[in-house]
Amino acid sequence: MDWQSWVIGIVGRALAFGTPLLWATLGEVSAERSGVVNLGVEGMMILGAFSAFAVAQTTGHPGVGVLVGAAVGGAAAFLHAFMSVTLRANQYVSGLALTIFGLGLAGLLGRGWEGAPLRQALPAVTVPGLSQIPVLGPMLFQGHTVLTYVGLFLAVVLWILLWKTRWGVVVRSVGESPATADAMGISVFRVRYFTVTFGGVLAGIAGAYLSVAYRPAWTEGMTAGMGWIVIALTIFSGWDPLRAVGGALLFGALYHLSFRLQGLVPPELLKLMPYASAILVLALVGLRGTWRRGAPAALGQPYARGER
Amino acid sequence: MRLLKTMAVLVAALAVVGTIGLAQTKIRAAFIYVGPIGDYGWSHAHNEGRLIAEKTLGIETTYVEFVPEGEVETYIDRLVAQGYNVIFTTSFGFMDGTLAAAKRYPNVIFAHCSGFRRAPNMMTYMADFYQVYYLNGLMAGALTKTGKIGYVGAFPIPEVKRHISAFAIGVREVNPKAEVHVRWIYEWYNPAAAKEATEALIKDGCDVFAFTEDSPTVVQVAAERKLPSFGHYSPMQAFAPDHCVSGQLVHWDKIYVDFLSKIQKGIYTSKNLAHVDYWWLLPQEAVELGGEPGIPVNPKFVPALKARIVDSKVFGKISVYDLVFARLQQMGDPGVSFDPFEGPLYDRKGVLRVPAGAWMSYDHLITMEWAAAGVVGPWPGEP
Repeated sequence: MDWQSWVIGIVGRALAFGTPLLWATLGEVSAERSGVVNLGVEGMMILGAFSAFAVAQTTGHPGVGVLVGAAVGGAAAFLHAFMSVTLRANQYVSGLALTIFGLGLAGLLGRGWEGAPLRQALPAVTVPGLSQIPVLGPMLFQGHTVLTYVGLFLAVVLWILLWKTRWGVVVRSVGESPATADAMGISVFRVRYFTVTFGGVLAGIAGAYLSVAYRPAWTEGMTAGMGWIVIALTIFSGWDPLRAVGGALLFGALYHLSFRLQGLVPPELLKLMPYASAILVLALVGLRGTWRRGAPAALGQPYARGER
Repeated sequence: MRLLKTMAVLVAALAVVGTIGLAQTKIRAAFIYVGPIGDYGWSHAHNEGRLIAEKTLGIETTYVEFVPEGEVETYIDRLVAQGYNVIFTTSFGFMDGTLAAAKRYPNVIFAHCSGFRRAPNMMTYMADFYQVYYLNGLMAGALTKTGKIGYVGAFPIPEVKRHISAFAIGVREVNPKAEVHVRWIYEWYNPAAAKEATEALIKDGCDVFAFTEDSPTVVQVAAERKLPSFGHYSPMQAFAPDHCVSGQLVHWDKIYVDFLSKIQKGIYTSKNLAHVDYWWLLPQEAVELGGEPGIPVNPKFVPALKARIVDSKVFGKISVYDLVFARLQQMGDPGVSFDPFEGPLYDRKGVLRVPAGAWMSYDHLITMEWAAAGVVGPWPGEP
């Protein structure tokens, strides 16, 4: 096995498996930057996956499916915003409830949809010209759907928005100190509603990717715990969209390697590798002290005017 | 007149006794599943069997899905309280909980799938695929061009190991140099893991695929590269009409209908199940060869399999297609005249596992840990 095929394989699979992780992580970064933890990622993803599949199967248009998946993810997140922002419920409990609710509802509605493949999957694109470059071409510009590229682009846009625009300052200040932001005339309520719902839209698209592109079929519980990896990746990335790209790709690469290297390393060990490396990197970053600084100060705390 | 009166009394008495008898055996059956019925795999198949049994026998049934293995007793308690008197538990991990419940409720009938512990009111049952895997192996061995066949395995436990070894024995029978490359995903159901494991096998040069995982993922991923594969558990030919060669199909309804009707007839009661074990294979039609019911081999692959001629010790020069059906007949007839695990059989380390002329015993089959020759890759617990 020559090195080229290994590199092409690892990077190619990292992009394919990393895409849903990236979309959902960007969504969670958006919500958490404004101070709202949403543990409902798994629930939003599975609802997005099912609705996208059902619509794509019915209409024959996978693109329409993705849009509906996005809307459904957003609607589910709106529910979380209502619970945690308006009603000031415990964010962790509300998020967990959303995950359980999403898995249950998607399972119920999905009855009978599992026996057939999606008739028209989201097509993989081959970028003309660029795909001809040796090594880089087959690695980056072949076999991926448009969602992979949009996801990477979105990471850059989100980074610019968060760190280079007034909008970003507003969102981050709500996450750091909602009382101060409120005193300055920013509507904490509106900002949090927006970021949480936007996060749900991205999680919905992540789910849609799974059911219309990654594996064009519906089976109950098909997200299989990916939402929890996303929660870890959000922390891992230090709430930074660009580092989220690195985290998602690294996780994707390790996940692929855990199957690729089974002939050489005990499979039990490899199964642990992605998770163990996540813990290791977290520990290293934590020791350096820069990671803590990254967490929004008001993360997880409901805000009520006049309370402190 | 007196005779008539006596007869009337007799008839009335019989009717009363009959009604009581019927009332006693009126079945309310409950099924406990470990996964969701929408998985299109294990739990889905059990549920299909339940529905057929319900229809065929006109009995009342219910089910609970997604039951964690440690919590099965709680669910049994609830079902018994609701009046269910026959309870099926369909995961190996439910074994101890089911046995404990069987002792607690001596009048309720229990049936545990894939385990080995029984009680007077608890039987065991299993529809096993190893014969069908062997037949799939014959076809896989004929279709591979690279000589490498990929296998995505769930857990390295005896059941899965037995299936992979039977598959490899089939492969080697028609293609003595071919290898079966195995990757484990350590889950019964995880489409993403199955996809990445398949991708890894493709990168390593495998060009035909079989698997143990409860979704059609492997079939779909292989079909994307136009590579042949074999379905598992549910009808999966629809997921790759041009690339799914065959597969294994299960008919739990055969066992469910048989067992429940014997309870109805009073043959099985809560007193006499200690030695009842359904180990149902091809002859009982609990399992079927094919990627779609009634289609043992996808017609698209028939010419290729007919064109491939092998030299069989038993049948002489024979096409792989004919060999598959000859073996299917040998194993499917009530007087089974062939078994894939027929000695002399050496494991991949060269140790003699089955002596010449012998077949593997049931106990050996359900506890086997060794790997047949031709299996490549990690094999945790290998003796």
